[in-house]
Amino acid sequence: MPSTYVLNMNDCLGNNPIACGKCAEACEQNAINYDDHDEILTREIGAIIVAIGLDVYDPTEMDEYGYTRFDNVITSMEFERLICAGGPTAGHFVRPSDQERPKRIGFVQCVGSRNPKIGRPYCSNICCMNTIKDTLLLADHYPDVQNTVFYQDIRASGKSFEDMFQRSKEAGTRYIRGLPGEVEEDPETHNLTVTVENTTSGSLERHELDILVLSVGVQPPKDLAKISSLLTLSKTSDGFFMESHPKLKPVDAPTRGVFFAGFCEAPKDIKDSVCQAGASASRAGALLNTGRIQIEAITSRIDEQACMKCGQCAAVCPYGAINWKKGEVAVVVEAACAGCGACGATCQFDAITMRHFTDDQLIAQVRALLELEPQDKVVVFACNWCSYAGADMAGISRIQYPASNRVVRTMCSARVSEEMVLEAFRCGAPVVLVSGCHYADCHYINANRQTAKRMQRLWDKLEKAGVRPERLQLEWISAAEGQKFAEVMRQMEELRKTVTMEEIEHTRHALQPKHKKIPEKKTATAGAR
Amino acid sequence: MATTTLETFRCMMCGHEYQESVEKGEDKERSCPKCRSNSIRHLKKKAVSDQRSAKTT
Repeated sequence: MPSTYVLNMNDCLGNNPIACGKCAEACEQNAINYDDHDEILTREIGAIIVAIGLDVYDPTEMDEYGYTRFDNVITSMEFERLICAGGPTAGHFVRPSDQERPKRIGFVQCVGSRNPKIGRPYCSNICCMNTIKDTLLLADHYPDVQNTVFYQDIRASGKSFEDMFQRSKEAGTRYIRGLPGEVEEDPETHNLTVTVENTTSGSLERHELDILVLSVGVQPPKDLAKISSLLTLSKTSDGFFMESHPKLKPVDAPTRGVFFAGFCEAPKDIKDSVCQAGASASRAGALLNTGRIQIEAITSRIDEQACMKCGQCAAVCPYGAINWKKGEVAVVVEAACAGCGACGATCQFDAITMRHFTDDQLIAQVRALLELEPQDKVVVFACNWCSYAGADMAGISRIQYPASNRVVRTMCSARVSEEMVLEAFRCGAPVVLVSGCHYADCHYINANRQTAKRMQRLWDKLEKAGVRPERLQLEWISAAEGQKFAEVMRQMEELRKTVTMEEIEHTRHALQPKHKKIPEKKTATAGAR
Repeated sequence: MATTTLETFRCMMCGHEYQESVEKGEDKERSCPKCRSNSIRHLKKKAVSDQRSAKTT
């Protein structure tokens, strides 16, 4: 909340011309400017801290608790207003139906949290301690109240939180493990009856209460999608922003120069939000104070003469690092390019070169490793961060797996183009594996989704050419999954044994490259030069 | 309102074919319910219902 007054122009008697002006006369600082208005400011900045907060869950859809039907069912936010000294009742806790002070108060935990059925499988992190705080507050102000908390788990894992929980129990709060299945209201007294299965005792219980407080969870703010699109940020499956690395870069966004603070990254309490804000400010300060930034050496370069201005590269870039307008040559913003190579693998006109991982270099590797006895080899394209590290993990863990695999390392699985896979088959590879990070772990925001799409096209293409599509496999293997890497290698070896020499020969011929049709536009442009 | 379709997938490792409701625009890692392989080929789609009826399936 701002600590300054704001003029409500809907209620003001008028400022054009000024009808009253008493506030301006009274303000000794001359801080009232009637001519001020909303405006869009343009600023050049070097870092952005995203701290857009949260939205509170609206329990209307969970009608089993009667939030829309019964006056005495309120949310934890409404409870906060009722007990606030500056609130509508001046801090006197009364129930909405008859303005009487309630003596039997129930709290229902996890309303809108840890519930996959309503699309909110995550823990909101703050509700347990908020309820414990409320029970202590009530016990302190009104010693005669009976608090009952219905919960599935109490998560009191912060500093001194367990102590608070114990104090709440000692103050007489009953904690019943089980969430209510039904809430009924007595139409005359407006008292509520809650039916709950106590999972500790295994019994079905009915509790009569004067008021029921729904401890509502939190959710990503509604503006999150807009900010996400603006700053090319990715989201986790629960809808919050995804950090660059959960352990090593917990406040950095995958887009460089962007940092997170607070709830927009994940539900957290005030202490954690303050810590994260400090860390973000520090990271942003470190970035700005260096005076110069280091960019990746592995970036894309677009050949202006070969670019057909189709814009496909810009569409697949997870960082929005390619500027393209219809009818214009695409341009890579090297400071923003992280070097995943998705653009290079997507470009059908060989107009994009990935520095240090060029098409020629990768295809040369494929040809070299299949030069001798290709029928005995399993070609594995492995991403640098996860699958390749997974192979390393299998090695250092001394996990045994067949020695037939030959690994080609790329920075991201999205760098593996259709041509690289087809070339491996043309060179006689019996089976090919493309492997990358799990969806949640992709080090290039979501570049590996391009891999998944490309695999679908490749399977179709192989089938159309009369090649068994099963000979091409896809696996997501993380750096910790050495065991999985070994298991996949064993499966690939089994698959390799099913491929006959006749199949390999047929594949070589069936996948021979057709003569590339050069678009007229390119020829015309080249001629003009 | 997001559209949900019933789509058919085939595991390219074990050959298992199965159907799954897919919400438009969903971003989900797929694995075979039988062998856990990630080589999941999307075969065809069939429009089934909108989001509300999908909740009941």
